[in-house]
Amino acid sequence: MKRSELAQAAGPDALVERVAELGPELKRQDQDPHGHGHGTPMETTREATYRGHHIVIRTTYQIEVDGVPIQGHMGVSDDGQVHYHAVPNIGFASAVDMVKQLVDAFPDDFQAGTATHSHGGRS
Amino acid sequence: MAVVRRNILTDETARKSYVQGVKLLKQEHLGPTTADLGIAGPPVEVSTYDLFVAWHHHAMDTFTPPTQGDRNAAHRGPVFLPWHRFMLILLELQLQRVLDDADVGLPYWDWAADGDLSPDDQPGSAVWADDCMGGQGSPVTTGPFALDNADPTSWRVRLAANVQGQLGGTDRGLRRAFGQSVDSLPRRPDVAAALELSTYDEPPWTTLSEGFRNTVEGWRPLDTAPGLHNRVHVWVGGDMLPSSSPNDPVFYLNHCNEDRIWAAWLRRYPDSPYLPDAGAPEELRGHRIDDDMYSLLTSPITPRQTLDPSDFYTYDTLEVS
Repeated sequence: MKRSELAQAAGPDALVERVAELGPELKRQDQDPHGHGHGTPMETTREATYRGHHIVIRTTYQIEVDGVPIQGHMGVSDDGQVHYHAVPNIGFASAVDMVKQLVDAFPDDFQAGTATHSHGGRS
Repeated sequence: MAVVRRNILTDETARKSYVQGVKLLKQEHLGPTTADLGIAGPPVEVSTYDLFVAWHHHAMDTFTPPTQGDRNAAHRGPVFLPWHRFMLILLELQLQRVLDDADVGLPYWDWAADGDLSPDDQPGSAVWADDCMGGQGSPVTTGPFALDNADPTSWRVRLAANVQGQLGGTDRGLRRAFGQSVDSLPRRPDVAAALELSTYDEPPWTTLSEGFRNTVEGWRPLDTAPGLHNRVHVWVGGDMLPSSSPNDPVFYLNHCNEDRIWAAWLRRYPDSPYLPDAGAPEELRGHRIDDDMYSLLTSPITPRQTLDPSDFYTYDTLEVS
């Protein structure tokens, strides 16, 4: 790719136009980031095929901190590592370790030992 | 003419230009607001710098394909390296624009050199000096990105992900907590081991893959994960942990070094192709060589278009390990 092509496409006016173009989709994504519906438990699904047999493992997580539900996307890899979408650079051998990391990573959501229920608005 | 990307610790001009440039982008408001980014609450203007924060968050929020919960549009899959190369090129073009200097290149932080220090010495690296990136804290109180409540132009985090994974508005200082979750940075032998892998990526094209991409991203080898790129995010901590991690200008220094390692790998294995190819199954959409990559700020480009960046930049050295 040539510098001249991308430099023109990345000018200030082009940036503004592109953000405006994608705005409605971003709004939809914010309202239901992962399509699992707000307030529903997190379910992960692992699938594998072994000797001709199709394996499906569904795991449901309901996580609370100080009684407040944690509802971001969570996943489990086939090697059993759990991960949480909002702390994207680390996997965990245990969901408990994962939630401890969430408390450290999001101090604004866990002030004075009490979780707050965030909805993505201004805090 | 292609710019030369240089080591931030050895090139004072590159260091000063980068700090000045990101501060200018942080103060520039072209018009988009939080409402345009789908953020609830009263609309607040979003700076050009913070548009990149939002782009990274939304890319991470876009599963590829949406029927699974591992690969996203920029991470945990083959597109990790091309997508971030694309992001860095766009930021570099913005820096050149606001500095009115077409010769400005992003600097890199050779973090593996610091990783060879003892863990106790790593927080004392020159990269955290007052005249470079500043130190740690909540908020950071030293260096160019320290919060000064009396100075409205001092560095402020204005968009951040919360624990529910949503991007929201805020107004606070930058946070770093060195070594809180892992005690040391990646080391040169870790980089050398990644460069021994001649295959770019391989099935299942996720965090379970054994190829170069997954190792340099930091998911393998499992017994030392988080490794390389991931380990830098986790070691710096604070705002480098969530999906809004571009809030910390160190984000770009980390990824510039990642990109340099990829450039070294491409030179070492010129006949090893980007994978998956265009004929790979539909479930890999977003990661195949000719697929559009998720873009919030320009029309999308493809991984193939990033494989030769020589019209944009070169590195002062590809000695990475």
